[in-house]
Amino acid sequence: MKYYISALVCTILGSTFCFVLWVVLSHEYDWAAIQPYAANLRAGWWTTLLISLAAMGLSAAIGVMLTAGQLSPHKLSRFLTRVYVEFIRGTPLLTQILIGYYLIADYVNWDSRFGVGLVILSCFSGAYLSEIFRGGVESIPRSQWNSARAIGLTESQTYRCVVVPQVVQRVLPATAGQFANLIKDSSLLFVISVHEFTMQAREANANTYATFEAYLPLIVGYLLLTFPISILSRHLENRYRYEH
Amino acid sequence: MSIELKSVSKIYGKTRAVSEVSLTVNDDVQTLVLIGPSGGGKSTLLRLMGGLEVPCAGSVVYDRIPLSGDEAGLRKFRRQNGFLFQAFNLFPHLSALENIVLPLEKVHGFSQAKAKDKAMEAMARFDMESHSHKMPTQLSGGQQQRIGLARAMAHEPKMLLLDEPTSALDPEMKAEVLDVIEELCKAGQRIILTTHEMGFAKRVGDKIAFLSAGRLIDSGPSPDFFENPSSPEVSSFLQKVMKW
Repeated sequence: MKYYISALVCTILGSTFCFVLWVVLSHEYDWAAIQPYAANLRAGWWTTLLISLAAMGLSAAIGVMLTAGQLSPHKLSRFLTRVYVEFIRGTPLLTQILIGYYLIADYVNWDSRFGVGLVILSCFSGAYLSEIFRGGVESIPRSQWNSARAIGLTESQTYRCVVVPQVVQRVLPATAGQFANLIKDSSLLFVISVHEFTMQAREANANTYATFEAYLPLIVGYLLLTFPISILSRHLENRYRYEH
Repeated sequence: MSIELKSVSKIYGKTRAVSEVSLTVNDDVQTLVLIGPSGGGKSTLLRLMGGLEVPCAGSVVYDRIPLSGDEAGLRKFRRQNGFLFQAFNLFPHLSALENIVLPLEKVHGFSQAKAKDKAMEAMARFDMESHSHKMPTQLSGGQQQRIGLARAMAHEPKMLLLDEPTSALDPEMKAEVLDVIEELCKAGQRIILTTHEMGFAKRVGDKIAFLSAGRLIDSGPSPDFFENPSSPEVSSFLQKVMKW
């Protein structure tokens, strides 16, 4: 039965993929039209890479802090981090970017579009990451905390030697997924004119009306960014795997 | 080391797990066995005596000095002792050897090399040295408990606290672990244990305490406690569990 199901899934997926590829490739393209914008697209790709990498680091740090807040013994800390996470997850990123740049950054006279974009993206992604990390910490069975206490570890030793190594292995797939989302979400920074990859494609399209020629490179460009994350995540998952 | 429980109570929410238990264990009692029906308070009392829980009322006194109520003091006390629970004692992300090395290095301050030597010694004592590189999931339940015992014994604890160490094992593995515990008793290790194995309790226990519904019903030296139970409740319990 399993064999038939997997054969069916392979057939459906394989034929759909071939069909889509054939339709896309059989279209007639005018690549010369966007040739003058190739350098801009490349520069945009590098901007996306840079802002995404920086936002991954910053959002991971924010995620860890929010997790600590959510697991804190202090009621107020738990309440405030909960409100933050619910607010960020429940409202559109586009609106957050607009408020962050045109109201808050403007109020404090911070004019770096890249910098503001980076912070907003990190705050947004950090909220999602904190939920992933919190779930990871809470999934560690009570017996592990008990054993750690019984052998005399302090709370920080328990986190360092017992909890975090087990949590890392558990949260890797979801974290990799969130990082891939973050890369794609960075395209929304066009609303504050950060010249990232998607913004460059929009401009090329606006000037040439060669829509597919302008937007198709995004597929390759974003895959070049997200695919290595999947590979790295798989590699780390295998490295940290402790169940044989 | 004399142990004195003075009207000790422990309440979880609305559940009275241990209710006003008073018990004196003199220096000459090497093995104290806590028995009684499930949910009767044995494990909670053991945890109170081991400094894993703080009583809501009353006090646990060792050599006329009451156990500290703060976490740092309790941790210091726990570090002198060794614990083994029913199951899931080991950290799944560490090999058998690393499980024993961790407390020796982080808690007892041994150098890495010395900790490894001591851990191998402890493993050899429990016939487990050939499994040192294995992960916990690669070991049988009985082997896991033996590694747990090796970890609890590696730093030469003053007292060994065992909470139903064989409850999660099949009969063959049970015998394997009980043999090891009996050897420890013979070697002069001071042990407090909870168990459902009445034959074993009778064989190794110097003093038996019977708990039911959170109360200490009776206590006395073995084997007299089993042969001439003074309380009808103990008598009925023993008749039931020793019938088969």
